[in-house]
Amino acid sequence: MRKTILKAHTADIGFQKEEPLVRGLDLSLNQGEIFGVIGRSGLGKTTLIRTIAGLVPLLSGEISFQGIPVNSATRGSIGLIPQRLGLVSHQSVGYNVLMGALPRANLFQTVFSLPSREMRDATREAIRSVGLSDKSLESVNRLSGGEQRRVAIARAMVQSPQLLLADECLGELDAVTAREIIHLLREIADSHGVGIIIVDHNPARASTFCDSMFELRGSRLLTLNEDDMSPQSGLPQVEGAQ
Amino acid sequence: MNIIGRVFQIIEKRAMPKLLLLIATLSIISIFHLQITFANLGNALSNLSILGHETFPPDFSVVTKRASWAHPPCESSTDWICSPAVVGMVQTLEIAFLSTILGTIFSLPLAVMSATNLSPQWMAQITRSVLAALRVVPSLIWALIFVIIVGIGPLAGVIAMTLYTVGYLGKLQYEALEGVSREPLEVARAMGLPTWQIARYFAIPAAGNSLISQMLFMFEYNVRHGSVIGLVGAGGIGWYMQYYLDPFKMYDKVLALIIVMYCSVITIDQLSLRVRKRFIEEDERIRRPKWKNLLLPSDETT
Repeated sequence: MRKTILKAHTADIGFQKEEPLVRGLDLSLNQGEIFGVIGRSGLGKTTLIRTIAGLVPLLSGEISFQGIPVNSATRGSIGLIPQRLGLVSHQSVGYNVLMGALPRANLFQTVFSLPSREMRDATREAIRSVGLSDKSLESVNRLSGGEQRRVAIARAMVQSPQLLLADECLGELDAVTAREIIHLLREIADSHGVGIIIVDHNPARASTFCDSMFELRGSRLLTLNEDDMSPQSGLPQVEGAQ
Repeated sequence: MNIIGRVFQIIEKRAMPKLLLLIATLSIISIFHLQITFANLGNALSNLSILGHETFPPDFSVVTKRASWAHPPCESSTDWICSPAVVGMVQTLEIAFLSTILGTIFSLPLAVMSATNLSPQWMAQITRSVLAALRVVPSLIWALIFVIIVGIGPLAGVIAMTLYTVGYLGKLQYEALEGVSREPLEVARAMGLPTWQIARYFAIPAAGNSLISQMLFMFEYNVRHGSVIGLVGAGGIGWYMQYYLDPFKMYDKVLALIIVMYCSVITIDQLSLRVRKRFIEEDERIRRPKWKNLLLPSDETT
């Protein structure tokens, strides 16, 4: 049986106690599961992701990661791919991917910038698996949007977190590139047992690879079932979903 | 309506006359308060004539003749290498180089502590106050203080310029660090990395181009100011200027030293600009000065 890694219980999320963006969040994510979150812009999807990552304090309730509050989670156990990917600009693909290994580097390695052989091998392997081996020394600023997303995913693969939070990491991608990235995310979830929460603005596409779908409507995160996802449901159906 | 009433009516309606009136009033108050009288200008022309007569033509023997009194003593057998201009300018460059390197080493941790996206607000406030305190004292005053403490010579200059560099460069650096995109830092925070690792591996590399560019700018600045601090005995070409000025008033030699300094500063500015251009953001346009603009004031406004 899969272990539950993330649990939210009556959590209020936002910046003002009187007006939370998300009210009474209840969520339970297991290992290897992918949750998709959809919803209109400006409702608080990014704030939801940042709160689960421990970057924004909770207004009330609790969100626990493996039984402890998210902001006390073990180093490197939570991975984040923000909307604009959070790559270190002007640095190479290799540098950015290697950053994923920082949480397990010891003091000597971080002070003197001496990654171990295991870290370098993991970096090379991740770059290879996202198909960027020929660009590992290239600056990330010179890559296309799709390639930059692959770098962010490779960084997450090197980090190998137990929970990966991806905020619209498929945004503005063509259908083919989006499919490749979805395939990578599914592989991370299936082969490494990583729990993934992904925010996507394309519900039809998200429903093809997510195990459960949620919609942020008003200030509530609602679970969507099969019927909600049908073309008759009123949810926007976007091209390139399949 | 009388004329005065009409003038006030125009002033009330339009912002520009109000502003001009304010500027004119403040200027008149300042002139009276400073007790500036034009009587002082009475002897200006004759003084200018004496100065011009004693200054021109510049005496370039300061570039060709050996300065046996150079401090520290020059060991080379070639005369021009041991001339006051070359020895002084090399000292100035060395002081500027050392103080820029030392200043960068000390300012970078302080800049990280001052950047509100990397450190807590209370810590940023304290370190910003330290940087402001270092910056508020001009390098010339720091030089005077250290000439008293460690004696005449380049050491006082290096310490003085380093302190000023820390204050000035630290401010530029923390502003560059605060300009770094929030997202890479959040990725690092979500990983659970400590602040020093976030700064070392995410913030500093992301702001790296600006930081290098600022360091080069600071080197240029230190070369220019390194010349001034020599006047109070803190080494460099300024010390040799002071030697000729007091008590001998050899203005022709001083002018030659100023020309040497001017040429050196222009050369360094050009080299630094070329190097800095490589580190400036791709989308950031810098206007490259032309040679004629370096010698003559530019009439272009953009």
